[in-house]
Amino acid sequence: MPDVLHKIRLLLRKPFLPLLRLLAGNRKAQILFLLFLLPLPLALFVLVVALPVRQLAFEAAPAKPAAVDSSNHQHLKEPEDEAEKQALAEKRLALAVEEAFWQVRHQMSKSDSIGLVINLSDSLIILEVKGVPIRQSKIIRYDRSDALDHLAAKGRLRQWLAGPFILQRELATLPKAPIRIIEAPKDTIEAEQRKTEIPIEDRDVHFTWEFDRNLTIVVEQEQTPSWEGRLQKLWYETQRTWNTAAATVDSLAQRRLPEHRFWIALELHRDDAKAIYRALPRNANLALHL
Amino acid sequence: MMTSEQTSQNDTGANNRPPSAEPAAALPSEAQPAPPAASQQLEAGRTLPPAMPGLRAAACGLLTGILFTLVILFAAPVLREWLFAILPESQFSLETRNMDIAQLQREVQQAGKRIASLQRRMEALVPRQPYVIVNSSGNRIYVMSGKKLLHEGICSTGSYVLLKAQDDRQWIFSTPRGMFRIQGKVKNPVWRMPDWAFIEEGRPVPPPNSPERFERGVLGDYALAFGNGYLIHGTLYQRLLGMPVTHGCVRLGDDDLRIVYQKLELGSKVFIY
Repeated sequence: MPDVLHKIRLLLRKPFLPLLRLLAGNRKAQILFLLFLLPLPLALFVLVVALPVRQLAFEAAPAKPAAVDSSNHQHLKEPEDEAEKQALAEKRLALAVEEAFWQVRHQMSKSDSIGLVINLSDSLIILEVKGVPIRQSKIIRYDRSDALDHLAAKGRLRQWLAGPFILQRELATLPKAPIRIIEAPKDTIEAEQRKTEIPIEDRDVHFTWEFDRNLTIVVEQEQTPSWEGRLQKLWYETQRTWNTAAATVDSLAQRRLPEHRFWIALELHRDDAKAIYRALPRNANLALHL
Repeated sequence: MMTSEQTSQNDTGANNRPPSAEPAAALPSEAQPAPPAASQQLEAGRTLPPAMPGLRAAACGLLTGILFTLVILFAAPVLREWLFAILPESQFSLETRNMDIAQLQREVQQAGKRIASLQRRMEALVPRQPYVIVNSSGNRIYVMSGKKLLHEGICSTGSYVLLKAQDDRQWIFSTPRGMFRIQGKVKNPVWRMPDWAFIEEGRPVPPPNSPERFERGVLGDYALAFGNGYLIHGTLYQRLLGMPVTHGCVRLGDDDLRIVYQKLELGSKVFIY
């Protein structure tokens, strides 16, 4: 046992010790090491992290030009007025978000297909057809991207929420439709069922919807996953990470800055998550209330 | 003869020395090892000449840089989120910065009115007369009126079986999703068996109007058509209710079917998800 530990210790030291010895007390080696180490990661950090954040957080919003009365302006500098104005501005933003939400729902009610409504302020997720809520489920927990607050602060949230979001891609641990293939002339479904019970589908449910306007909705089941479910989730997470990295590389290859995706993570009961995932068609519309 | 451990010690000793030092010549003569064997010459070949540490450091730097690059590539969304969490937000929206209080109050009031109007319009879309919601994932049925639940029961919906015939025809037994309307109501329905019913049982397909195609009693006491040949009907196999076993129709138990038949009129809405 000590032998094994010793070997492990040697193995761990092996890649780092020679490098440290090489750099210790050798200024030229240290400079060369840093010169070759830094450019690539720094360039990538600037391109895929710093610039996209700058673009979103510091870019000026298209503001409506408003006539400003200079006497009013002086008056507004009073601290009480500033506080009242702040409160009104916040209320106005909240109402603008709510108005955009109801407008989108109204717009969606003109479509024949099933749409999705996510109301984070009431913790509700709703399936809706023609304006009729057909399934309403409680969101157990949710979390959202900090970037959304920057969007709100910049006054671009209303623009972003105006119009339904359109589903573009999805990735899940369960199939969209549990298709079984039967080749005739084999036994009928019912004849088969008379002999054996139909297995109840008991898969863990985790999925990601990618909508337009850089919105990603991640849904996790509330229940602790099974052992098999954990493996499925690991594979799903790997695919998600890989897809994100591939999208970043793709953007860079097309000489575009990668766009930051605004994510919302929802935790739902497994049955709700499964029913909603399977019910939502391709290119479905989403109304969002933050 | 030197052991491999001694060789590695000599190697690391060489690495410890400053690059200007002469590796072999600096060793005291008594410490110099005997000429190495062929395998040990390979080991000795790893000892770098004085100009190599720079190259080696550059290579190490480049490799470490590539490793960091990969980490940044995969962790970019997380790193951006951290930055967003750290960065301060401006408190005022640029849109409201130039507005006065009266203007803001007016806007708030108007927005409230517009929202109330939109909510009323959405409320009006919910049918007042009875309608049915079918959950094909959980195999449940809800009879509603407005937002009030009148009755709840179990049902069976499409099995998602893809039936492939020997002549290359195929059918998928799924229940359609969306909004439908009741197009017909029948008591004591007779089932006109389609081709797939014979094919999946391995029986020869009879001519279109053959008496062999008509079967009584298998659809229960009532049937309500909701378009494209799909029905809400009863079943002989009550114990399979609650499971996805049908060819696309919605099957109900006798009591639930009677309630649905009584409540729904021609034109009543059926929502399936």
